[in-house]
Amino acid sequence: MPLFPEVNELNSQSLSDNTPHFRSALSYFQVLYLALEHIQKKVSMVLRRLLRKRWVLGVVFGLSLIYFLTSTLKQEERTIRDRTLLEARDSDHHIQWKVKFLLGNSSRQISQCRNSIQGKSLLTDELGYVCERKDLLVNGCCNVNAPSSSQHVCKSCLSNGCCSIYEYCVSCCLQPDKQPLLEHFLNRAAEGFQNLFTAVEDHFELCLAKCRTSSQSVQHENTYRNPQAKYCYGESPPELLPI
Amino acid sequence: MTPTEIDKYVREYIVAFNGYFTAKARSDFIRSALRDVDAANWRIIRRDNPASDYPSDFEVVEIRQNARNSLLTLQDHPYIKRVTPQRMVLRTLKLTDSGTDGTSPCNDTRWVQKWQSWQSSRPLRRTSLSLSSGFWHATGRHSSRRLLRAIPRHVAQILQADVLWQMGHTGSGVKVAVFDTGLSEKHPHFKNVKERTNWTNEKTLDDGLGHGTFVAGVIASMRECQGFAPDSELHIFRVFTNNQVSYTSWFLDAFNYAILKKIDVLNLSIGGPDFMDHPFVDKVWELTANKVIMVSAIGNDGPLYGTLNNPADQMDVIGVGGIDFEDNIARFSSRGMTTWELPGGYGRVKPDIVTYGSGVRGSGLKEGCRSLSGTSVASPVVAGAVTLLASTVLNREMVNPASMKQALIASARRLPGVNMFEQGHGKLDLLRAYQILNSYKPQARHVSLPYSTGVLSPSYIDLTECPYMWPYCSQPIYYGGMPTIVNVTILNGMGVTGRIMEKPIWQPYLPQNGDYVDVAVSYSPVLWPWAGYLAVSITVAKKAASWEGIAQGHVMVTVASPAENDSSIGGEMTSTVKLPVKVKIVPTPPRSKRILWDQYHNLRYPPGYFPRDNLRMKNDPLDWNGDHIHTNFRDMYQHLRSMGYFVEVLGAPITCFDASQYGTLLMVDSEEEYFPEEISKLRRDIDNGLSLIIFSDWYNTSVMRKVKFYDENTRQWWMPDTGGANVPALNDLISVWGMAFSDGLYEGDFSLADHDMYYASGCSIARFPEDGVVIAQTLKDQGLEVLKQETAVVENVPVLGLYQTPSEGGGRIALYGDSNCIDDSHRQKDCFWLLDALLQYTSYSVTPPSLTHSKNRVVPPTGTDRPLPQRLEGNHLYRYSKVLEAHLGDPKARPLPACPHLSWAKPQPLNETAPSNLWKHQKLLSVDMDKVVLPNVRPYRPQVRPLSPGESGAWDIPGGIMPGRYNQEVGQTIPVFAFLGAMVVLSFFVVQLTKGKNKPKRRKPRVKRPLYLQQQQTPHSGKTPTV
Repeated sequence: MPLFPEVNELNSQSLSDNTPHFRSALSYFQVLYLALEHIQKKVSMVLRRLLRKRWVLGVVFGLSLIYFLTSTLKQEERTIRDRTLLEARDSDHHIQWKVKFLLGNSSRQISQCRNSIQGKSLLTDELGYVCERKDLLVNGCCNVNAPSSSQHVCKSCLSNGCCSIYEYCVSCCLQPDKQPLLEHFLNRAAEGFQNLFTAVEDHFELCLAKCRTSSQSVQHENTYRNPQAKYCYGESPPELLPI
Repeated sequence: MTPTEIDKYVREYIVAFNGYFTAKARSDFIRSALRDVDAANWRIIRRDNPASDYPSDFEVVEIRQNARNSLLTLQDHPYIKRVTPQRMVLRTLKLTDSGTDGTSPCNDTRWVQKWQSWQSSRPLRRTSLSLSSGFWHATGRHSSRRLLRAIPRHVAQILQADVLWQMGHTGSGVKVAVFDTGLSEKHPHFKNVKERTNWTNEKTLDDGLGHGTFVAGVIASMRECQGFAPDSELHIFRVFTNNQVSYTSWFLDAFNYAILKKIDVLNLSIGGPDFMDHPFVDKVWELTANKVIMVSAIGNDGPLYGTLNNPADQMDVIGVGGIDFEDNIARFSSRGMTTWELPGGYGRVKPDIVTYGSGVRGSGLKEGCRSLSGTSVASPVVAGAVTLLASTVLNREMVNPASMKQALIASARRLPGVNMFEQGHGKLDLLRAYQILNSYKPQARHVSLPYSTGVLSPSYIDLTECPYMWPYCSQPIYYGGMPTIVNVTILNGMGVTGRIMEKPIWQPYLPQNGDYVDVAVSYSPVLWPWAGYLAVSITVAKKAASWEGIAQGHVMVTVASPAENDSSIGGEMTSTVKLPVKVKIVPTPPRSKRILWDQYHNLRYPPGYFPRDNLRMKNDPLDWNGDHIHTNFRDMYQHLRSMGYFVEVLGAPITCFDASQYGTLLMVDSEEEYFPEEISKLRRDIDNGLSLIIFSDWYNTSVMRKVKFYDENTRQWWMPDTGGANVPALNDLISVWGMAFSDGLYEGDFSLADHDMYYASGCSIARFPEDGVVIAQTLKDQGLEVLKQETAVVENVPVLGLYQTPSEGGGRIALYGDSNCIDDSHRQKDCFWLLDALLQYTSYSVTPPSLTHSKNRVVPPTGTDRPLPQRLEGNHLYRYSKVLEAHLGDPKARPLPACPHLSWAKPQPLNETAPSNLWKHQKLLSVDMDKVVLPNVRPYRPQVRPLSPGESGAWDIPGGIMPGRYNQEVGQTIPVFAFLGAMVVLSFFVVQLTKGKNKPKRRKPRVKRPLYLQQQQTPHSGKTPTV
């Protein structure tokens, strides 16, 4: 079916209907400019005198300096965000981790819990309780009284800090006595983990992130080093098993 | 409704004015112009949109037929420039009411549609799109040709994203991750790049290829070639180097970061065949389990079947295929079923959805736009659409990988004449998906989902529907045949984990002969993440052994998921869905017409190295298409069907079928070993009349050592575990008849029985019984060529052998040394005629004279001069084999596994009549689209008021920023203008200052004079400083 001949006209109509929207920006500018011209004509002579006063110049300079500084700082912030894995090559380099460990009050009362979300049947909440999905409360915490839930469990975890079940790895990692281990890890974390572990903010996030399988978990890229115990809170990668 | 029909009653006209006037002024003008016309015959159409707050230069007036001459009076008015008929509305209406017959009962929809097409701020060339988009969505390919050819367009507008933009949805608040080749920092198309990270070993964040920029542009470009969701938060992950290298480990770390950052939508326009890469597949599951909606390209390996790429072939991922702008499946788009489930099961339907992927415009590397094709392009189209859709949902909790996928597939438009293994659920329809997504409410305790399409994929089983249900529709079922398996994916939008409550129920419809069908259902024990499978095996009951007709019924499935928003502990949400089943039954065909395809001994894509059957194809060294009659042997299957044969698939050891049912067992390109029990059973079967055809392939240990390669992706040397076929294993199987294949490797063209043939890397027959028929050809020794780069021609290479076993009523055996001529991948010349001839021989004992009387017939080789090929030392076949297991020394055969046993569901017959068309039936179950008012317009708050409307209108933004966004755009530019203004002031001061400073120094005496004069001229100067 051919286009209607009227369409073109029609479109020009609807186009012009909308011009006020974006014209407003232009006119704003123009008006500003006109106003400036106006000021220039009428007040320039007076201002010229005013401008000779040093403090006025100082203020103008100061304001522009502040503007300049803020805008450059903003840009810097941006480049900081663009982190590259390989930026820091030196071995002394420590990643700037900002993890806040909350010590000794793991039994604190909180109204809302984050939890490990992903589990097929198990979940770990941020207090370190592992429970079955059906025992999860509306606020995201495990029901402490449920028979299935228990705190800081290291079930399925080996001595090298690698577990076969992710949720237990997180729970185990949340044990307060794991803090030195985690700090040590953070201080020596591989460059490849810089992005991840500088973005981590607290103990729970750290454990969630640390227990996930990562580049350290594989051999020949497409095979787990140890398909059984692959979730590690500890520093060492999973034990290397022959294929 | 056609425009002419509407003409009879009322028509709308656009009245254009000479300048910009307020609504009141405009209405006054029109009223004065039409003062002689009865007020009942015309009215001004209200436009309730943000623009109506501002003066405008036009008005829409509805005028009745009988008052047409009033147009003249309108045109005479001094302020009215012209009057033109408004037609677009009608067309737009027609397309939005799609799905029904065009007469929408819902005025709201109608009205809002008018609003959107009307007040669109799109410049001329784009507006016509909304007009043509009716055609874009008409999936009848032929009707669309004319328009389509004319206009290469921005994909976001073709998919009518502008409708959602005008409603204020632009993707804001949705985090999109682009896993690709990076993006340069100052690309002019992007305004909300939140973060860029590099995960590769290259020291840059910038894109050197343009792939990542293009993909990001399709999702979120805000100018020129517009993306879908310009306000979305872009997270750029550079995981692919400029040399197109990428490792699983980079992905693992990058995915972890995406989880931490709580990404909502992730586009991965990258894929590979390795679904056995467990760390990667597990990580993708983990990602979607953390609510990341993953959209991935299905691959560019079409039109060959069995070419789906991972991760797009995963149940929890939205796999996107490509179409061109004429609604043809793009040639490159990968297709065919998934091959994970082979050999025992059957593949799932993929891609999930298709969309434009050919000649789509997107952002160029540095600036501007370019056009690109590939499923890499189609994937971000869907990812962008998903982002935009996610931003339309008020309760973001409801958006999850499953609900989004359900909305997409339930709303997709099916393309005619294309089967489901090519198009999935059809073409993406953004607006329908919007409607569905916004009617989605999985909150209740028991969810009766508003639509059943989408929960199950495919949503019904109609084995009679062609071509959509190809290959099921290509062969009716009959008693005694191998069960037909349909692998249905269950999507569970209620939660990341779920389960199927109780056993699914099979309810045959008695009036529709449902009791002639037996159904067995197996399913995932846990639906995680968001999805699981439901394998429906269908077979014919014994009482229908000689019956012909259609049988129907349905399977009822109840899915349960933990209710997370439920205060009572242990609460579950459930939803029940019906899976209609319709099959065509025929009487069991005679034995000679039945062919059994051995799938069990064909290895699907494994993590090991199984080289191509054709060694010339160096850029595609792996044999990864599944070797199934519905993947890369599809043409052969179609040919056999057209010849009247019934082809069934054996997904279990040879010990697991009743040989008396079949005429021929077809073994093509087998890589697997054989259980000793299989070898002895096959021997008995052939003695009892079963025939065997083997298409072998090359196996030469020196060549295998030569074709090893260093794999960049796994960073290790890959040594083939077999040749093209596992010849030593085949020789074990056929040695009892005095037959064997050699380790020769031959290539060349020849002519056989007046057919041109090409022998592509095949072996020869080393031994054959002396009373058999053997055909030989002159071929090139490719082994020598590969090993020493020398060319040698070998005469009398035995390539084909025919043999009648001596026992009473014994079967026949046919061997051919190369499988390439019946394989779709890299095939140059087909030899289906040869297959026909061989089947004539094996099934009907008709010896083809063209072969037996061929001048190429030679004396069968005894093969005593050369040793038979031995298995390559140290091969790792046992790692991937179902037959072998690691053992000290040589791998040994495992114990023979039990044959698969299906537990047939106990039928619960219904005395119900089934709907005749299952697809339509599904549609009825689905949401009544028109009840969901499409643009549910939120109050619009203009942020800026134009200072002086009417001033200069020629501000054309190059390429145009998206419509519907101008207000906000202006709001954001204000600080910029303010800053510019401040700079002007500042520079003015500076100029004045330098003037002031210079002048006094040079001409001191004059300084005072002008000042003095000025002071005289401006008597109020004294007050100025206080101003």
